[in-house]
Amino acid sequence: MQSINYNLTGTVFDIQRFSLHDGPGIRTIVFLKGCPLSCQWCSNPESQSIKPVMMYKRDECIHCGRCINVCKVGAISPENENWIDRETCTSCGECANACPAGALVSKGKTMSVQQVIRELKKDATTYRRSGGGITLSGGEPLVQYEFASEILKASKGQGWNTAMETTGIGTVEAVEQVIPYVDTVLLDIKHMDPEQHKRFTGAGNEVVLKNAPRITKISDTVIRVPVIPGFNDSPEAIREIVAFAKTLTGIKTIHLLPYHSFGENKYELLGKDYELKHVKPLNPEDLTECKAIVEEYGFRCVIGG
Amino acid sequence: MLAKGFTEPTERIQKLKRAIVDAVPYVESERAVLVTESYKETEGLSPIMRRARAAEKIFRSLPITIHDNELIVGAITKNLRSTEICPEFSYEWVEKEFDTMATRIADPFRIPKETAAELKEAFKYWDGKTTSALADSYMSQETKDCISNGVFTVGNYFYGGVGHVCVDYGKVLKIGFTGIIRQVMEAMAKLDTSDPDYIKKKNFYEALIITYSAAIQFAHRYAEKAREMAAVCLDATRKAELLQIAANCDKVPEQGATNFYEACQSFWFVQILLQIEANGHSISPGRFDQYMNPYLAIDKGISHEFAQELVDCVWVKLNDINKTRDEVSAQAFAGYAVFQNLIVGGQTEDGLDATNEMSYMCMEAVAHVKLPAPSFSIRVHQNTPDEFLYRACELTRLGFGVPAMYNDEVIIPALCNRGVSLADARNYCIIGCVEPQCPHKTEGWHDAAFFNIAKVLEITLNNGKAGDKQLGPITGDITSFTNLEQLLEAYKKQMEYFVYHLAEADNCVDYAHAERAPLPFLSALVDDCIGRGKSVQEGGAFYNFTGPQAFGVADAGDSLCAIKKHVFENKEITMEQLKEALDHNFGDCCDKTCSATESTDEDRIYEAVKRILSNNGSINLADLQAQLSKPQKEVSGNKEDYAQVKRILENTPWFGNDEDEVDMIARRCGQIYSYEVEKYKNPRGGQFQAGCYPVSANVLFGKDVGALPDGRLAKTPLADGVSPRQGKDTNGPTAAAMSVSKLDHANYSNGTLYNQKFLPAALAGDDGLKHFASIVRSYFDHKGMHVQFNVIDRDTLLAAQKDPDQYKDLVVRVAGYSAQFTVLAKEVQDDIISRTEQTL
Repeated sequence: MQSINYNLTGTVFDIQRFSLHDGPGIRTIVFLKGCPLSCQWCSNPESQSIKPVMMYKRDECIHCGRCINVCKVGAISPENENWIDRETCTSCGECANACPAGALVSKGKTMSVQQVIRELKKDATTYRRSGGGITLSGGEPLVQYEFASEILKASKGQGWNTAMETTGIGTVEAVEQVIPYVDTVLLDIKHMDPEQHKRFTGAGNEVVLKNAPRITKISDTVIRVPVIPGFNDSPEAIREIVAFAKTLTGIKTIHLLPYHSFGENKYELLGKDYELKHVKPLNPEDLTECKAIVEEYGFRCVIGG
Repeated sequence: MLAKGFTEPTERIQKLKRAIVDAVPYVESERAVLVTESYKETEGLSPIMRRARAAEKIFRSLPITIHDNELIVGAITKNLRSTEICPEFSYEWVEKEFDTMATRIADPFRIPKETAAELKEAFKYWDGKTTSALADSYMSQETKDCISNGVFTVGNYFYGGVGHVCVDYGKVLKIGFTGIIRQVMEAMAKLDTSDPDYIKKKNFYEALIITYSAAIQFAHRYAEKAREMAAVCLDATRKAELLQIAANCDKVPEQGATNFYEACQSFWFVQILLQIEANGHSISPGRFDQYMNPYLAIDKGISHEFAQELVDCVWVKLNDINKTRDEVSAQAFAGYAVFQNLIVGGQTEDGLDATNEMSYMCMEAVAHVKLPAPSFSIRVHQNTPDEFLYRACELTRLGFGVPAMYNDEVIIPALCNRGVSLADARNYCIIGCVEPQCPHKTEGWHDAAFFNIAKVLEITLNNGKAGDKQLGPITGDITSFTNLEQLLEAYKKQMEYFVYHLAEADNCVDYAHAERAPLPFLSALVDDCIGRGKSVQEGGAFYNFTGPQAFGVADAGDSLCAIKKHVFENKEITMEQLKEALDHNFGDCCDKTCSATESTDEDRIYEAVKRILSNNGSINLADLQAQLSKPQKEVSGNKEDYAQVKRILENTPWFGNDEDEVDMIARRCGQIYSYEVEKYKNPRGGQFQAGCYPVSANVLFGKDVGALPDGRLAKTPLADGVSPRQGKDTNGPTAAAMSVSKLDHANYSNGTLYNQKFLPAALAGDDGLKHFASIVRSYFDHKGMHVQFNVIDRDTLLAAQKDPDQYKDLVVRVAGYSAQFTVLAKEVQDDIISRTEQTL
């Protein structure tokens, strides 16, 4: 019997039910905090920091001042452009607890494995009926790998299908502790050129390319490519990624994810700039040529995942 | 491929459908004139005999109409989609609309001058003689006060026949009307003259024989007409068809049916005779696949295509039936709805899966005809074949909201809990909107009242007052309350008072129907009227219920949760602050309510609807005007404070997100209502049972409810049925369904109604069908009772863009990412709208 540490805690920023695209059936996604990358197109910018971050929803604020009184570091003032001075804020979350209107929200909550499983259980019947299960996402789940591993083990113990979205960036130890408990890995390969990768994501791709064979040897893996205009939407860039996928064990399917800007409004709530403001979202039909390349190599290609 | 697609209907069906769609509905006078003549002739006879003589006269004299292309014949009116009038229930509102009914916006009916004159003459007789006049005379002032203050209404059966029944179509198919007459004769032969009820029973049996003899003649008149038409028909094909129709009508429903065509014709005669006898709506065909399939099975000569065409013909015919309502109700229930519920699938009486070939043919008919009738439903149980459920999901994906899906695993035990035998419960069908009953053994009185749970909460918050009137008992000033239990205790006491009066109101109307409108044609088709020797209205059915339906459960639950969190627990606002904010509608002064003279169309309509829906005569219009003209309380300088209170209240977990904290409060709010309802008995010897569904009353009666602690502004719509409040379920459809399933549906044995919205993208492809089916299965695993799906179209997305508050629950799922539609930037929304068009 494998023991599971249900009391281990980690930082979760969202649990989203009724997901249809991140593994088989109907799924619940657990979003874990912390990511080694900061991709310019990231649709979950609140996930990047391992610590909780404060979101301020201007429209919900009733200007009652309760948050100002509870802030220990004086980071909140009506004088501030975005209510919170991000430099001073320690993300302790006291203001969110005090906010009666829900205008201040702490993105990032400490939860135990047990608490996470309790939330996931709410849709257990749906997993059973649909052949679905749970998906870990982030952030990068390999950052909090011990926590991720316990959630996955506990989920397997419930008989649920498990999946994980990953950038592939993590230590060997992390990969070995997490991947064996994942039924389907959704592995992002964003670019084969380390320089380009670094420019758009904040880090090189060396670790990704080293981890890819390790991951695909252990678990069923789907390669995912977020197709971003000006970054990797050229036939050459796609071809290089697909050729790399060909060298890996057991890859059958490649997902091409057309760029979307659903995350844009979150940047404002976080007081951040969105660098791809002027990039137009792609439609599935924009990826026809890329799809042909994927299929040329004998892979099944799904647009949109 | 899981999806099989649907075939195109035949040319005949397309023409028949076109004729229905293009028809201009008329009000016709024949029935009203005939029933009036008959009643003048039968003064002094017993009520049941008067009804029999009236039915006899109508069945023998109502005009006979056969339309082009028809294979199944029989019509209530000369013109398509037209209506007869039943003045014996009520008539005043028809008279008022003689000049305007043809030109009104919703559901217009033409009334030619001669028709109006004939009706006017007939109506003269009925002054003081209608069921509504009698019911009104029975009701206490306290009960009328509850009605006029919008706590509940019993308008449905106050103004018309009861309807809401599923009769023994199978018996007619098998033994015909002569077989029924034989049954009656046998029962009569067994009568013992020493039985104290001998005279009454003998009278009843004679009434049945008179009625059924005339009903046979009604069909024979169609045979005669078809032969006349055949004689002069130049088209050889049509001539042959007409001769076949004549042969059918000679034989059925007088005799049992021997093939599928005769079975369809026989079914149809029963369906219209019921609706000629009286005007109650929701005359539901019930388990059509169960009683029709045997005739398809024995009919070796018939092709599948012709059998399908006959089913399609029945479907079109169901849309020929129409009823007029007053101008305002017509706006509220626009679309000429008559709620003939037809259900397929489910179990046999001994618990085996009952899905058959006809079940699938009915789905095909729905896709062929694409008209509102019948209200199409399916039954789902643990052994329902996946193929059947996938097919139903495929039908839903066509996007017109059918089928509604019902859960055997909840409804069967719920009915057993009300004393229905297991075999009978397994045989249940659905009446009207969502009401389960054992067919042809039940007088369910399903639409007995609309009951406004949110109004009871509002009255509780005002210590028993509605406006300035002390309507309910004094249960304590809420500012003295310190915890949720005290509030719930007060709410329970108010509930006791209002349900007590609800029962009184319903029973007054019940008595009126027993005394003035016992229905012989209907009664022979409901067991065990013949055995007991009395009509359905007098308690002849095996199972008797009265089923009032509530709405506003989510409003009550959300409101109490908001008070618990922000007043009792976090103490962010005081009860005084809350009370004041509510009294001032959170500072939102609505100008139009301040002046009665400038009442908008909407207000005018609302008042009229209320008048119709509630008890006629009990509302003093002058009082209403006075109430309306009362100036709104002055919004003082602290308008902003009220808005702040509202914002704080709105930061509460809402029902519909799978949060026990609030779901369990909503559950209790509903249970307190339903446990109270089931304490009462009706005059037919049956029990009251609660339902939780709104038709569209949640919008109308929302106008009677002031601001609520869940942040809802005065006069805005309430939650429908068991659904979460509009736009408040933001955790996705599975979380919403789980919340809804916590309401203890088995308790609401008069039915619950849950609406879910979906985007086509979420249901696309074979995966979509599988997801869809698994959502249904898992909601039903959690003991949900009913669900129906609206597949959202582009228009909905556009509406959501305009009015984001109402659509916060709308989650779009495109390309591996999902988001609440309303929080996205406009351009992104536009993008999704254009993508949605593609997936459609």
